Amino acid sequence: MEETNKMEEPNKQEEQTSTQKIGIYLWIWGLLFVLSFFSYMVDWYQFQGMLRWSLILFFMFLKAGLIMAFFMHLFWERYALVNVLLWPMTAIACFIFLMNAEFQYTLFSRFFYFVVGGA
Amino acid sequence: MSDEYDNNKSYQAQSSEVLDGSAGSINPDMDYVRPAEIPEQDLYHAHSFIEKWIFCQDAKVIGVQYFLTAVFTGIVGLILSWLMRLQLGFPELAGFMTAEHYYQFVTMHGMIMVVYFLTALFLGGFGNYLIPLMVGARDMVFPYVNMLSFWMFFVAVAVLMASFFVPGGPTGAGWTLYPPQTILEGTPGSGTGILLMLISLSLFVIGFTMGGLNYMITILQARTRGMTLMRMPLTVWGIFTATVLAMLAFPALLVSAIMMTLDKVLQTSFFMPTILKAGEVLEYGGGSPILFQHLFWFFGHPEVYIVALPAFGIVSDLISVHARKNIFGYRMMVWAIVGIGGLSFFVWAHHMYVSGMNPWFGFFFATTTLIIAVPTAMKVYNWILTLWRGNIRINTVMLWCLGFIVTFVNGGITGIFLGNVSVDVPLSDTYFVVAHFHMVMGIAPLMVIMGAVYHWFPLVAGKMLSETLGKWHFWITFLGAYSIYFPMHYLGFIGVPRRYFEMYDSPYMTSTVGMNEFISVAAFIVGAAQFILVFNIIKTLKTGKKAEQNPWKANSLEWYTSTVPPEHGNFGERLPVVHRWPYDFSVPGAKDDFIPQTTAPSEVANTEVEKT
Amino acid sequence: MSEQKIDGFELRPGFKGMASDTGSDQTMFKGVHWGKAMMWIFLLSDTFVFSCFLISYMKGRGSTIVDWPNTSEVFSLYVGGVPVPLLLIAIMTFVLITSSGTMALAVKYGYEKNRKMCGWLILATAVGGLTFVGMQVFEWSKLIHEGVRPWGNPFGAAQFGSFFFMITGFHGFHVSIGVIFLFIYTYKVFAGHYDSKKRGWFTKMKGDYVEIEILGLYWHFVDLVWVFIFAFFYLW
Repeated sequence: MEETNKMEEPNKQEEQTSTQKIGIYLWIWGLLFVLSFFSYMVDWYQFQGMLRWSLILFFMFLKAGLIMAFFMHLFWERYALVNVLLWPMTAIACFIFLMNAEFQYTLFSRFFYFVVGGA
Repeated sequence: MSDEYDNNKSYQAQSSEVLDGSAGSINPDMDYVRPAEIPEQDLYHAHSFIEKWIFCQDAKVIGVQYFLTAVFTGIVGLILSWLMRLQLGFPELAGFMTAEHYYQFVTMHGMIMVVYFLTALFLGGFGNYLIPLMVGARDMVFPYVNMLSFWMFFVAVAVLMASFFVPGGPTGAGWTLYPPQTILEGTPGSGTGILLMLISLSLFVIGFTMGGLNYMITILQARTRGMTLMRMPLTVWGIFTATVLAMLAFPALLVSAIMMTLDKVLQTSFFMPTILKAGEVLEYGGGSPILFQHLFWFFGHPEVYIVALPAFGIVSDLISVHARKNIFGYRMMVWAIVGIGGLSFFVWAHHMYVSGMNPWFGFFFATTTLIIAVPTAMKVYNWILTLWRGNIRINTVMLWCLGFIVTFVNGGITGIFLGNVSVDVPLSDTYFVVAHFHMVMGIAPLMVIMGAVYHWFPLVAGKMLSETLGKWHFWITFLGAYSIYFPMHYLGFIGVPRRYFEMYDSPYMTSTVGMNEFISVAAFIVGAAQFILVFNIIKTLKTGKKAEQNPWKANSLEWYTSTVPPEHGNFGERLPVVHRWPYDFSVPGAKDDFIPQTTAPSEVANTEVEKT
Repeated sequence: MSEQKIDGFELRPGFKGMASDTGSDQTMFKGVHWGKAMMWIFLLSDTFVFSCFLISYMKGRGSTIVDWPNTSEVFSLYVGGVPVPLLLIAIMTFVLITSSGTMALAVKYGYEKNRKMCGWLILATAVGGLTFVGMQVFEWSKLIHEGVRPWGNPFGAAQFGSFFFMITGFHGFHVSIGVIFLFIYTYKVFAGHYDSKKRGWFTKMKGDYVEIEILGLYWHFVDLVWVFIFAFFYLW
C-alpha cells in the first residue's frame, strides 16, 4: 500500500479521452501490407529449405508482433497485463517442442515397421 | 461508491473499548486505505420468481444451482460405482450386468466424477458462492454471463445423462476415451453414446469458459479496498489458480473432442490409423492415436490440479480457523499453489509411459513430475505446522481436514511411485493406479468438500448442521474409504489389472475373491453413509438450530455480511474495507482470539499482529 | 491505455510497475475495464485452442508417410490460363488486414466520441469480414469441386483435407461470429447507444465506447490467427 499522509477525497475517475495519433495506425497498417507482400514473395520465388522456413517465421512473428503491440494496444498496456498474457505461452512452446520430437519418433517407427519391415 | 472515509465513527467507538487508556489518540494515517478505484457495480435485481431462482444472476444462487446439479451427477456416479463393485465382489448377484454394461459404468463413473462432479462443484459451486464474498465484491463482474455459464453446464449434464437412454447406451471406452477403439464398432456406445459424450464435453468447456472468465476477473479486478492479492484467503487463491489452469487446459479437451467428432462423423483420420477389421481394411488410415493421448493429457493433468488446488486452498482456511492459528507460511502456501499450477502444464505425459511415445520423454516427464512433489510436500508440512500447538477444536470440520491430510499424503506417496518410469511400467493399469488416484483426487478432495459443507452451511442456510450426524458421517466415510482403497494397493502389487469385467479362471480371481468381497461391502457402506449428509441437511433445514452470525469466529469477509444468509449485493450499503490478512487468530494482546479482516490497525494497536 | 491517473497510487513504468500493480489492492490491471480484461483472458484461452489445432496439424503432417500436397499448387488460381500460386489466399490476407486497420481506427474514433466516423469504420470492417467469409466459401467450394474432402483428396495425404477444413473452418467460424457482432455494433454506434449509455438488451449493462475496443481486440485476434494459419498452412 502506498504510504500517503493525505486523506484525500477520491476524484471521479477522468473520462479517458487521450488516444494515439492516427499516424501510428496508418504506419502499422502499411507495414502489415508490406510484410504480407514479402511473405507472399517467399512462395512466389519458391525459396526452399532453411531460407524459406526462417523467412516465413520471421515475417509471421513480425506481423503478429505488430498486430499485438499496436492494433491490440499491448505496447501501451502496463506490464502486469502483458506478462499475464505472454507467460502462458511457455506451456505452448513446451508442447510444440515435445510434439516436434514426437512426430519425428512416430515417423521413424512408421518407416521402421511399415517400410523397412521391422527388426 | 461511497467515497467518504469508511466508518470513522465506528472505529472510534470500538477502539475506545479496545485501546482503553493506552496511547489514546487514534492515528488516521495508520488506518489509511486508498480510495476506491472502481465505480460501484450496478446490479440487476431480480423482478420475478424466474429471475430470482431459475435464470438468476446472483452468484450465490448460481453457486447453489451448480452445487445441486453437481451433487445430482455425483450421486449418479456413486450408484455406478456400486454397480461396478457389485460385479467385482459378488458377480453371482450381478447377473443382469454384461461386460458392456460394466465398461459403460466405468467410463461414466470416471467422467462424471472428475469433470461433472468435482470440477463443477469446486469451481462452479464453491467458486461462485465464495469468490465475491471473500474478495469483498457485490457479485461476479458479469452476472449475465455467469448465469449463462450455469445453464450451459446444465445442458451439458442433460446431454450426458441422455446418453444413458440412447440405443447402444453411453460410451464404454474408459473415461480417457482413447481412440481408435472409442469410435469403432464393438466398443459399447460407439454410435450415439460417444457423440453425446463429446458434445456434452464441448458444452461443458464453453460453459466453464464463461464462468472461468468471471472468477478470474472478479478476483483480479474487483477486490474491495485494502484487499491485496496477498491478503486473500487461500480458498480464493486455490480456486483462482485452478480457474487459470482450466482456462488454459480445457482448450486441449475441446480440440480433441472436435477432432474425434470429425473422425466419427466425417470419417477423417486425425486419430485413426489403418485398421483391419474382420479381415477388411477400414476407410481410416494415417492418423495418430497418440496425438489424442497427448491432447487429452495436456488437459487431463492440469485437470487433476483443477480438482486438487481448490481443495488445498479450502482446507488451509478450514484448518486455520478450527485450529485458531494463522496458517503457517502463508506466502509459501500461495507460491506453492501457483508453482503447482505452473508446473502442471509440463508433466502430462507421465500418464503415457506405456503408450509407445518417444522413449526419451520418460526422462523429461519423470523429472518434472518429481519436481512437482516439492511444492506439494511444502503444503503438507505447512498444514501440519499450522496444527502444531494450535488450539485445535475437534469438530466435524476439523475431522474432515485431518482425514484429508492423511488420505492426501497416502495418495501423494503412491504418486511418487508411479511418477518413476521404471516403477510405473509394472504397476500401470493395475489396481495400484486405481487406489492412487482415488486416494489423491477422489477421497482427499471429497473430504475437503464435506468439511467445507459443514463449515459454510451456516452461512448459506443460516442453520448449524448436526455435529453428531456429522461425526458418524465422517468416521464411516474415513474408515470405509481406507477399507476400500488400502487393499487395492495390494491387489495392484499382485498384478490385478484394472477395468476388467471379471478375472475368469486366472490366479487373480481365485486368490482375491475374499478381498474383492470385502472392498465391495465397504464401498456399499461408504456410499450409503453419504446419505447421512443429505438427511442431515434436510433435517437441519427443517428443525436445525439457527446459526449466529460467524459461528466459527472466522476472519474472512464472507462472515461479515449485512445479513445471514447474505442478500443480493452481499454487503449492504457499504463495501467492507480490509486492513489485514484473514489469519489473525490467537494474536497475543488481542481481546478476542480472532481479528476480522475489517478491523483497523489502530483498534488493535497494542497487539502483536503480523504485518500483511 | 497510456496516460491515466489513479488516486493514491503511483503508476510506475516497467517491471517495477508490474510489481506494485500486482501488490496493490482492488485491481491488478490498473485502469483496465472489466470487459476488456475479460476479452484478453478469453483470447488467451482461445490462443490455446488454436495452438492445439496447429500443434495437432504439425504432429499429423509430420508423421504421415504419404506425401503432403504442394499447397502452392493446390491453392493456385488460373488467371488467363496461367496458374498464380496462392492468389486467392493473398487477396484474403489483404482483405483481412484492411479490415483490421479500419477496426483499429474505429477504436480510436470511438474513444474520441466521434460517432459517425466510428460507425462507418466499423461498417467497413464488417464488410471486409463478410468479403473474407465469402472468399473462404469460394475457396472451399473450389477445393470440394476438385475432389478435396475431409476424409481424402487426390493430391496426397488424407490429413491435408481434414486439417484444412477443420482449421480454416474454425477460423472462419470466428470470423463469422465477429461479423455478426460488427453489424450489431454498427447499429448500436449509429443509434447512439454508447453516447447515451443505453443498457444492453440482455446483460442490462450500461453501454460504453470501451465495448468497441473489446470487439476490436477480438477482431485483431482473428487477424492474428490468420497470420499463423497463412504461414503454417499455406506457405509451409
